[in-house]
Amino acid sequence: MNLLDPNPGAKELLLGNEAIVRGALEAGVGFISCYPGTPSSEVPDTFFRLAPKAQYYFEYCPNEKVAMETAGSASLGGVPCLVTMKHVGVNVAADPMMTLAYIGTPGGLVILSADDPGCHSSQNEQDNRYYARLGGLPCFEPSTAQECKDMTREAMELSAKWEQPVLLRTTTRVNHLRGPVKFGEMKPAKTRGEFRKDPSRFVPIPAVARVRHKVLTASLEKIRSEIENSPWNKSWGEGDVGVIASGVARSYLKDVLKSHPQIKVRVLELGIAFPFPENTVKNFLAGLKKVVILEELEPILENDVRTLCQKNGLDVQVTGKGEALPLWDEYSTLCVEQALAEALGLPMETKSSPSPDLSGLPNRPPNLCAGCSHRSVYLNVRKVFGDDAVYSSDIGCYTLGILPPLKAADFLLCMGSSISGGCGISRVIDNPVVAFIGDSTFFHSGITGLINAVYNDYNIILVILDNRTTAMTGHQPHPGVDQALYGRRPGSIEIEPLVRASGVQNVRRVKALNQKAVLEALREFREMSGVRVLIAEEPCPLYAKRMLGVKRNKVATVKDPGPASLECLNTLACPAFFIEQGKMGINPDACAGCMVCVQICDEIKPGSRS
Amino acid sequence: MKPLRVFFTGVGGQGTLTATKLLAETALEQGIEVNAGEIHGMAQRGGVVHSFVLLGGYHSPKISRGEADVILGFEPMETLRALSFLCHDGLVLSSEDPVPPVSVSTGRETYPPLGHIKSETIKYSPKAQFIPCITLARKTGVVQTANTVLMGAFFSMGVLPLGLDVLLDSIKKRLRPALVEVNLEAARLGAEYVSRHSQE
Repeated sequence: MNLLDPNPGAKELLLGNEAIVRGALEAGVGFISCYPGTPSSEVPDTFFRLAPKAQYYFEYCPNEKVAMETAGSASLGGVPCLVTMKHVGVNVAADPMMTLAYIGTPGGLVILSADDPGCHSSQNEQDNRYYARLGGLPCFEPSTAQECKDMTREAMELSAKWEQPVLLRTTTRVNHLRGPVKFGEMKPAKTRGEFRKDPSRFVPIPAVARVRHKVLTASLEKIRSEIENSPWNKSWGEGDVGVIASGVARSYLKDVLKSHPQIKVRVLELGIAFPFPENTVKNFLAGLKKVVILEELEPILENDVRTLCQKNGLDVQVTGKGEALPLWDEYSTLCVEQALAEALGLPMETKSSPSPDLSGLPNRPPNLCAGCSHRSVYLNVRKVFGDDAVYSSDIGCYTLGILPPLKAADFLLCMGSSISGGCGISRVIDNPVVAFIGDSTFFHSGITGLINAVYNDYNIILVILDNRTTAMTGHQPHPGVDQALYGRRPGSIEIEPLVRASGVQNVRRVKALNQKAVLEALREFREMSGVRVLIAEEPCPLYAKRMLGVKRNKVATVKDPGPASLECLNTLACPAFFIEQGKMGINPDACAGCMVCVQICDEIKPGSRS
Repeated sequence: MKPLRVFFTGVGGQGTLTATKLLAETALEQGIEVNAGEIHGMAQRGGVVHSFVLLGGYHSPKISRGEADVILGFEPMETLRALSFLCHDGLVLSSEDPVPPVSVSTGRETYPPLGHIKSETIKYSPKAQFIPCITLARKTGVVQTANTVLMGAFFSMGVLPLGLDVLLDSIKKRLRPALVEVNLEAARLGAEYVSRHSQE
């Protein structure tokens, strides 16, 4: 499969995220920026992988705000731009995004917001369609791989035509589905442009902003009439009950109608629901008694339809959010089926699904990997502070330290919050506060919190868990990673000088797997006050193996199983450990050779990988 | 073809997603309408992985409770946990070699008896087959081919309109050359195992 194939016609099975890449390429995208985050990550990662063979410019940024600003401003130079992030990343990037909608984006700017209904890998399930309404961004919502490709392309074209940023709003299911995609013609990448100076447009001082707000509103009205006729907003079917569906709910609806041919409804699929295509919807409602609105999460279309009915005096019964269609989680064929049955007053045979006896079934939560240096650091933090300290956590693999026996996460807000959150609580409680942050998250938005900690004279210990990569989202580089690894200009931004430059006096830098060094630094810090920063360094073992070619030939073996090794098993809980007949063993296939257990337990010794 | 929903369940690192992609790509190449879905993110850290291949004209990228025509279980306890997704008269094909979660291997929780997993499964899928996928994969010399053992079994059972030969061709075409031979052997071992046990 060649996503860079300049010719149309190929039909490939693509991940939704790969299809988005192809769509942007077909539109001639010239500048792409991002901060990775599940479920958006395969979009930038694919651009990154293809970059050496392609013409476009691509960059990973320290955070979403920076990414929005680089891509948004590149579009001011007349180049078609794409910026990608997960839904909560849009919160970080919202400030420049709102302004970009006012001043406009001459080259075109598409903002991918990958939402996560069901919180598969996120701290919330906010509905970013609201951002489209808040900022004034036309909003595309694909539901299939082909639509991911086609809508991205069209979103880029629409954005360039109206010089307004456009939101491409996906959901986890859509980002991570695989479906056939027919390739279209590919425009050459437009990577150079020119900036036509116009301060009365591009510098939103109040006098300019007031005018630009009106321009934005007028543009949205023009876009509204354009999308009234869009093939993405299409109606079909028959009957006096209607269904208006958006996003992946359209797919569930189609499958329900296919398996229940007795259900007769008229359907309006809204692929672009903002600006709300009022005439299209009004025409659709004509002659209907009842309309069911299918949209995951918030009742946005439902409210738009209710408003439309009120404005036009339409006597249509509107049903949406309720018992069958909740405000939370994902939709499914089952909930759509139930909602339609209720609306049509049809008796639905209640399908009985198997209900096996699952009592006492152990759970299988995701876990820190064998050999992960976070486990080593957490072990020592617990040794020194136990349950007394409050652990302010952050977003990354290390959040998995929440589980016993490590229990190294007491609260968490968002990317970068560990330091400022830890500071806030430290001022009002008597317990010591220890904050944990990863290297990528530190660059993302930890630095400002650290500066605040020094500036406002806080008592806090910050542990920077530096595993030299963005591990959780798939090992993307970040400013602290030597770019020479990726064939780019050598060099990286070191964390320690950055911490010192922020005014921190007490900084220790240790090898994260070295038990003595980690423990001593923490004990020393316990007796001190002020801002104390421990930088614990060790590459993520998965990354070290795959990217750095590190081979660990040693494995740990329990030489003399007794109570000490059982104690080690209970405090460290490494996934390579097991108990057999009351004695501890270590699975050599799973052991990553970190040798943390060897350092803390006399019954465990290094051995060779046989 | 008759539309078919195939539900994959396994543990991160077992190659569940690789198997999902292999089935989806093979089917598309054979002219079958395909839609597949997976969830990334937490998968590689030892958590549960669910993925879906919907064949024959479905639009949805996921399978709800009571909808799966086939459950492919790459780990027996996860097969049990996923049984509620099976449709009436559905088929379960599962590995019978446990991959214990950390809570079990460290003695804090107990793995359910294999007999219980099998009897609960057969209650809802009388023709269910349990296959020693990891044991058979060891015979190839590469234990990571356990996922292909299960795929070999699946393709040889006549549920799909595609036979074992189609899977073998697809393996040759799609896998890295160094991995082709062991995976061909793994697929054959899985197929042989179910054919022997169906005759018994």
